[in-house]
Amino acid sequence: MRIKLAVTAAAALLISGCSVDSGGTGSSGNAAAGAASPAANCAIATAADPGNSQPADGTPVAENAPKLAQKDTYRVAFSQNANNGAWRIAETQSMQDEAKRLGYQIQVTDAQNNQSKQIQDIRSLIAQKPDALFVAPMTEEIGTVIGEAKSAGIPVFLIDRTVSNAQAKAGTDYVTTIVSDFVQEGKRAAYAMAKATGGTGKVIALEGTTGSSSAVDRKKGFEDALKQCPGLELVATQDADNQRARAQDITESLLQANPDVTAVYAQGDDMAMGAIAAIRAAGKVPGKDILVVSGDGSKEALQSIVDGAMVANVECNPRFGPKAFEVMKQYAAGDEVPTKILNEDRLFDASNAAEFVSQAY
Amino acid sequence: MTDLATRPAAASVLRNTDWPSFIRRYGAAIVLALLVLFNIIFTDNFLDLRNILFVQLRQAAPTAIVALGMALVIATGGIDLSVGAVVALSGQVTAVFLLDGVPPLVALPIGILVGVAAGLFNGTLVSRFGIQPMIATLVLFTAGRGLAQVVTGGRIQTVNQPIVEFLGLGVIAGLPISVFSLIVITIAIVLVTRFTPAGTKLLAVGGNERAAGLVGIRTKRVKTMAYVVAGGLAGFVGLLELGRIQASDATNAGLNMELDAIAAVAVAGTTLAGGTFSPGRTIIGVLMLRLLQNTLVAHGIPREVAQIAQGLIIVAAIYLLRRSRDAR
Repeated sequence: MRIKLAVTAAAALLISGCSVDSGGTGSSGNAAAGAASPAANCAIATAADPGNSQPADGTPVAENAPKLAQKDTYRVAFSQNANNGAWRIAETQSMQDEAKRLGYQIQVTDAQNNQSKQIQDIRSLIAQKPDALFVAPMTEEIGTVIGEAKSAGIPVFLIDRTVSNAQAKAGTDYVTTIVSDFVQEGKRAAYAMAKATGGTGKVIALEGTTGSSSAVDRKKGFEDALKQCPGLELVATQDADNQRARAQDITESLLQANPDVTAVYAQGDDMAMGAIAAIRAAGKVPGKDILVVSGDGSKEALQSIVDGAMVANVECNPRFGPKAFEVMKQYAAGDEVPTKILNEDRLFDASNAAEFVSQAY
Repeated sequence: MTDLATRPAAASVLRNTDWPSFIRRYGAAIVLALLVLFNIIFTDNFLDLRNILFVQLRQAAPTAIVALGMALVIATGGIDLSVGAVVALSGQVTAVFLLDGVPPLVALPIGILVGVAAGLFNGTLVSRFGIQPMIATLVLFTAGRGLAQVVTGGRIQTVNQPIVEFLGLGVIAGLPISVFSLIVITIAIVLVTRFTPAGTKLLAVGGNERAAGLVGIRTKRVKTMAYVVAGGLAGFVGLLELGRIQASDATNAGLNMELDAIAAVAVAGTTLAGGTFSPGRTIIGVLMLRLLQNTLVAHGIPREVAQIAQGLIIVAAIYLLRRSRDAR
């Protein structure tokens, strides 16, 4: 089955959707009070949503990267690694929309999930001497070409993924990297689950592709926070590869072996939709018998919060445009720009899902 | 001198049994029985009728239907790597038609026709153009899924329609639709292969194609038919998978299903060289591999371990196949 493992891994690489998160408006709706009475020993069941994290103290400021002149309008370029899947399509759209809103010219390339194509894309963009270059890196291994942009005097802003430090230095070869804090996303999901369940119950967790940074970090954030709630017992954790049908099969099997499960944490919305279908197939009512908390913030997930099948969702916002251009303008103005910027995610629940469902991706 | 007749009859039977052959034939059934026994003892609620029918059998049925088609192709000495992609393509095409407002009575048969057309394409490449089956079906293995993604623009689209809900959650004669379909399809295939000349022709072509041709069997037509049936069954499973997740998912629908089907045929003790067809053992192979995976998942063991276990079982099956005295 080596072939099978390899095929699965390759497919998973193609689809692992949310690699980072972008700046939204960052309101964290906490209006819904805990439905159940919180267990006395679970502090986070009554705590407010912890919200977005801040970059670690002492994050250096970008000082040695190419400077950007302050102008009324800019000509910028954006190298997208793969313009497919709802999340990345929304990301590209957001860059284009924000550029249009600001009256900037933007040129977009699509590397079609091919690293060598992205390197070629970036080289041809450099040759056209844009004022600034935004890159959503395919992998961490495209640092060399980032150095070529620096040599050409073009400031580079990385979004949603970073590059290897051995090949390109933050603040020198590129200005900054704007990424999501997946650990915080997992932590906020645990808080939302504690609040919804009142801090007691048996939980199963469905994880994204094994080894992907989003899966590893969300797991860490979720499990660390859950330790504060001894009444919430994590009875099973399985890798469902961000796939709906697989999450459905796995949830069916887990519910059969653990019929007393009362909550499901799915790291991604596709898996959550599969889990909800499995809960229904098992003759239970999602949102009542079993509470589902998920992450991503897709339109479908928000709709299921409105419908009552999902209780909460931690966003992984693909709309990088506003944040990316705001950082670029700060840099041009000579403001101090940290070499790592964390994106803001919203928490959706019954209090605000209806308001945001129409604009979700 | 020892009198042979005085020996206990059982010992004689034991000594004369071709054990590798016996285990090859019935090994999958034995492992399945052991897994069932294990689950009855150690897994809560396993014997619940709802679990057996609506979780275990329903999860296995789509793969089992595809595996039956695969077994037909393998019986002719071929292989069909495209069935997983055909599952995706059929589901996506049907979803797009349904979302466009085409009535289910038209959209659903179109999904099956997509599978039949794919099978005809595969069969023609193999029998008329003499292309190696693995290469011929590799074409649709890659292009089929690509096409499925193009059709739906690469994103999952929910299809909230009663017919799709019925395919996924409907019940006929107390059985989930996929399980009911599996039973009907199995009966039909057994009747045709056992009681019509088609079965004999199929095995003759797989056993010795030249000899079959010499006795007047139209070998090209028989081989093409096997791929057409496999494609049509994959097309039908595309509809079941569409119903199962109530949405079109071009990237993941039917993913690796061709490998699961081939694995099931192999652990069922069927030689991949052709000339053998055993629908019952193929289904047992699917059930065994699926229950193995579900058992490990239910007991909190990572899915990756289940895949390794499945690999080891396939190795064991191939070893037994080589050791057994009757090659097929």
